[in-house]
Amino acid sequence: MSAPTTPPPRVALVTGGSRGIGRAVALAFARNGADVAFSYRREPAAADETASAIRGLGRRVFYRASDAADATDAARFVEEAASELGRLDVVVPNAGIAPDTGWEEVAPETWTHLLSTLLVGPYATVRAATPHLRVSGGSVVLVASIAGFSAYPEELPYAAAKAGVISLARSLALALAPQVRVNAVAPGWVRTGMTRELYDDPRSRTAIERSTPRGRWGEPEDVAAAVIFLASDGARFITGETLVVDGGESLGWRVGRLR
Amino acid sequence: MSDLAGHVVLVTGGSRGIGRAIALELGAAGATVAVHYRSRAADAAEVVRRIVEQGSEARSFSANVANRAEAAAMVRAAGEWKGRLDGVVTSAGIYHGPALEEVGAEDWEEMFRTDVEGTFRTVQAARPFLDRSDRAAVVTVSSVLGSHAAVGGAPYQMAKAAIEQMTRALALELAPRIRVNSVAPGFIRTDINRTGHEDPAFHALVARSTPLKRWGDPEEVAPSVRFLLSREADWVTGTILGIDGGIALR
Repeated sequence: MSAPTTPPPRVALVTGGSRGIGRAVALAFARNGADVAFSYRREPAAADETASAIRGLGRRVFYRASDAADATDAARFVEEAASELGRLDVVVPNAGIAPDTGWEEVAPETWTHLLSTLLVGPYATVRAATPHLRVSGGSVVLVASIAGFSAYPEELPYAAAKAGVISLARSLALALAPQVRVNAVAPGWVRTGMTRELYDDPRSRTAIERSTPRGRWGEPEDVAAAVIFLASDGARFITGETLVVDGGESLGWRVGRLR
Repeated sequence: MSDLAGHVVLVTGGSRGIGRAIALELGAAGATVAVHYRSRAADAAEVVRRIVEQGSEARSFSANVANRAEAAAMVRAAGEWKGRLDGVVTSAGIYHGPALEEVGAEDWEEMFRTDVEGTFRTVQAARPFLDRSDRAAVVTVSSVLGSHAAVGGAPYQMAKAAIEQMTRALALELAPRIRVNSVAPGFIRTDINRTGHEDPAFHALVARSTPLKRWGDPEEVAPSVRFLLSREADWVTGTILGIDGGIALR
């Protein structure tokens, strides 16, 4: 028995949707005909701009400030979004932070804040959305990172938390099957506010271009396209997967041609 | 869905099973499709007919990809048809699941020559035609058994593991211009595993073991290939995308 085809998502929820990858995801869903709920943390002007872009695409939008580190509010945001927009078909817990913590002196509060934002928040979002997704036969796309399976001592807690996101995708996929699919994307170096300093410095910008087999930085739209695909009917037999979107960055050694 | 209008794509093993579903999906997405087959000319002609009916171009090409010279000649003919290839999908493959003591020299050679070397020679011969494209992408076909073990058919599992590492190695070697990715289907109902899904007990066992509680269909693999070939996946290379209903989860 094969699954009946599912219609395109009608309502998508994205946390951290005002800027960067989240914004690109929110707009891509709107462009594909979905109404969008998104949260943002601290830039109301950017949020207003994203909201009007979504409206400009003829879609409804619900948005408000909500810090992903606050699990209670993350769950409340999901309920409000479902009630405002009538249903939930896709949830993308995308909100993230990536402070340069290094590895030597990571304060316990830094750990707590990072894990709250990158792991507990997404968990709370998905948990709150589960009843709605079960009704719609929807799906979740988490936002991990190649830092979750490669070494990044410069941002050790971030990398560890992103490894946690990959794990979350697997366990939640099993927990929510067969009604709800859960997948993740693992971006490499994407040009966003989070990476602006690296991009603006010609040395680090070029170094990353060189270390990426595709020869360029990722754009938020590269990641959004993968999210849209995983949430689509074309991916209806895919669950528990982490789709790497990194221009080949994590592939292997770049020691030149082997001899 | 991803638009492939203007793409010229070669699909090996395109006359049946997963390759057939891929050829049809790409045709529906607007691609011009070179449909490779080994022995089933009528089935390949039917795939071509259906693609043409939908308004895209298609033509069939025959070869046994286990034969190096035949594989290279077929790819050359497919590439010369339109003068370039924007995509290559290496779906030609065989499957058998014998126990260790039953694996004879012929089983071993046929498996590695078809699945591993067939895939490799196809990409090798396609390279000059992919070089002429500004959107070149290869999609190989692995299996959940390329990274998760099962009892029986060790050569098949090894062959698929080889295809996964081939995918990563060639993604690096052919960067930055040609992307190389793989799809790794789980239990999909096709001709080559008919003995599996037509056995009621095995059918039920697989459905039960798969978190999505069912077998997949070839039509559920094809959209991932379409995505990976499209410009939307422009920054995706070296990736193995599992399409397995979650069966690899534990």
